[in-house]
Amino acid sequence: MELVTYTLLFVSLYFEVFLLVTFLEKIAYRKHSAASTPQTYPSVAIVVPCFNEERGLGATLHSLLALHYPAGKLEVIVVDDGSTDKTFAIASEFAPQVRVFRKENGGKHTAMNFALAQTNAELIGCLDADSVVEPEALLRTARVFEQTEVSAVTPGIHVRAPHTLLQHMQNVEYRISIFIRFMQAALGSAFVTPGPFSVFRTSVVRELGGWREGHSTEDMELALRMQAGGHLIANAPGAVVYTTTPRTFRALLRQRVRWTYGFLRNALDYRYMLANRSYGNLGLIVLPLALVSIFSGIYFFFSVVFQLTISLISTYTRVEQTGLLPHPSLELYYVNTSAMWFLVWVAILFVVVLICAGSWIGSGSRKPPLSTPLFLFFYSFLVPIWLSVAVVRAFFNTGVRWR
Amino acid sequence: MPIEPIVNNRTARWGTYAIAFVITAAIFATAFWASVYFNTRRAAEIRTAQDSISVDILSLETQFDLLAQHSCQDISENSVLSKEIQPLGERLAYLETQRGVNQDELTRLKRYYSLLQIKDLLLMQQVAQKCGLKSVFIQYFYSNKGDCAKCEQQGYVLTALSELYPQLRVYSFDYNLDLGALRTLTQIHDVQNELPALVINNKTYYGFKSMDDIGKILPQLKTLKKTATSTAQKLDTNP
Repeated sequence: MELVTYTLLFVSLYFEVFLLVTFLEKIAYRKHSAASTPQTYPSVAIVVPCFNEERGLGATLHSLLALHYPAGKLEVIVVDDGSTDKTFAIASEFAPQVRVFRKENGGKHTAMNFALAQTNAELIGCLDADSVVEPEALLRTARVFEQTEVSAVTPGIHVRAPHTLLQHMQNVEYRISIFIRFMQAALGSAFVTPGPFSVFRTSVVRELGGWREGHSTEDMELALRMQAGGHLIANAPGAVVYTTTPRTFRALLRQRVRWTYGFLRNALDYRYMLANRSYGNLGLIVLPLALVSIFSGIYFFFSVVFQLTISLISTYTRVEQTGLLPHPSLELYYVNTSAMWFLVWVAILFVVVLICAGSWIGSGSRKPPLSTPLFLFFYSFLVPIWLSVAVVRAFFNTGVRWR
Repeated sequence: MPIEPIVNNRTARWGTYAIAFVITAAIFATAFWASVYFNTRRAAEIRTAQDSISVDILSLETQFDLLAQHSCQDISENSVLSKEIQPLGERLAYLETQRGVNQDELTRLKRYYSLLQIKDLLLMQQVAQKCGLKSVFIQYFYSNKGDCAKCEQQGYVLTALSELYPQLRVYSFDYNLDLGALRTLTQIHDVQNELPALVINNKTYYGFKSMDDIGKILPQLKTLKKTATSTAQKLDTNP
C-alpha cells in the first residue's frame, strides 16, 4: 500500500518537474511579442455548431463578427443541429454576414462535417456557442499557420465571467490547463483540440476524413488521429477565448464525466501509441501519465477518505469510552514531519507554480487567481468523483451524453 | 502580453527526462532525509528528558533515605517527576508511530523509560505508605504487536482517568519489551500474555476495563480531587 502511494507520488511529481524543466528550457530563449499581424491572411471559416443554444449564441456571433480580420477572408457558419428552441431564428438575424444552415440532429461531429462540405476556406475552426473570442484571437492564430508544418492551432481558454464558487475554482483550473496545453504543444504532444476556437488546416481535416463521434469527445479523437498521422498541433495562448463553465456541481459532473470518459475510451482506441517511441513525448510520457493521473487521483482520494474514516472511528470510540473530547497537542514535537507529508506539500507547491505559470502564459501576469486556496483544498476532493464515475462507465462502455 | 507560441515536434529529448528524474529523486531523498532528521531530534529530546528524570529519581530516592530527618511535605504528591513522566510516555508513543525512526534507538528509549517508571512506582509506593499519601497506582500492560485489539481503547480510558485524577498514577508497560526488571515485575504479579492487563492493588485484571469498571475496582477514586480542566472537558451526558 505504502509502496503504491510513494510510486504514484513519484510519478506525479516527476511529471510536474518534467513539465517545469521543459518550460524553463523552452522559455529561456522566448520573448513576449506584441506583433500579432500575419504576413498573409489565409481564408478562414469559423463554424458554430448549435443544438438549443438560444441563450449564448448571440454573444458568440457578435464576438466573431468583431474579430480583427479582413472581412473577405472570414466566413462565419452556423449549423443548427436540429435545435428545438429559437437558435435558428437568432442565428438568422445575423445573416447575410453569417451563413446559417439547419439540419437534422446528429451530433456535433455531423454539424462540423456539414460545414466542412460547405466551405472552401483554407482554415476551418470551431467555436462552441457558449464561448466568445477576443478581437485579436484569429490574427494570433493565423500567424502560427505561417509555419507550414502546423496543421492545427489551439487557443488560450479562460473562464467567462465566473460567478459561483465552483466557477471561480474552475477559473484556477483553467490556468493550469493553459499551462498544460501550452507545454503539450511545446512537446509536440497535444491530444485535444478544444471546441472553443481550435482552428485546423481544412485540407488536413479532409485528408483525415473529417470529424468523428469519438465517444462524445470529437475534439480529442480528431487530435489523436492527427497525431497518429504525424500532424503538428500548436498552441497560441494569446488567442484568447472565454468559455462559459458549469455553474452547478451537477452540470460540472456531467461535463467532466464526458471529458474523462472520452479520454479513456479514445486512449483505448489509440492504445498503440502508449509507450511507443515512434510517437515521441506523446507516447512516452504525455498519454501514459495522463492515464496514470486519473488512477492516482482516485487512489489518493480514497486513501484520504479511508484514513479520515479510521481517525473518526478512533475519536468516536475514545469519546464513547471516556466521555472526554481528545485535545490535540499544539507542541512542535507533534507536527507531522513524515516524508509523505513533505512530498504532498511539495506537490501542492508545484501545483501553485503551475497556476502562476499558466497565468503568465495566458495573460502575462504571474499572479494566481484569488480563489487559488479554495481550488487547492476543495476542488481536489471533487475531481475524484467524476474520475471514478468516468472510469466505471468507460469500463462498461456505457456511452455518455452531452446533456 | 501573452507569450508567443512554441511550435515543436514530439521527438523526445532524453536529457530533459533525465534532468527531471534527478530533480524528482533529489526531492524524494530530501523528504526522507528531513523526516529522519526530525525523528532523530525527537529521540534526542526524549533522551535528554529521560536523563533529567533519572536525576530527579535519584534525588527523590536520596530525599526518601533522608526522610527520618525531614518532613513528608518535602515530597509532594505532585512531584516534578510525575508531571514529566506521562508526557514523556506520550511522546515516546508518538515516536513509535513514525517512519524512519532508528528501531534500536527506539527500543533503548523504551527500556530506559520503563525502568524509570518501575523506579518511580516503587519509590512512590514507599513514599505513599510512609507518609500516608492518597496516591493510587495502576500498572498497565499492553502489546503493540497487533495481538491486542482492545489495548488502544484501554489506553484511552487510562489516559482519561489520569487526566481526571492527578493523584492516580498510571504506569504503562510494553509486555513484549526485553527488560529484566519488567520481567521480574510481571512475574511478581503473575501477569500472563492476555492483554490488556491491569495490576491494581496487587491484583491482576485481564481484558478491557471501562471507566466504570475501574471505578468499581478502585472505589477510593471518588475521594481523589479532579482537575479543573478535565472536569470542564468532560462531556455532560447526564444533565
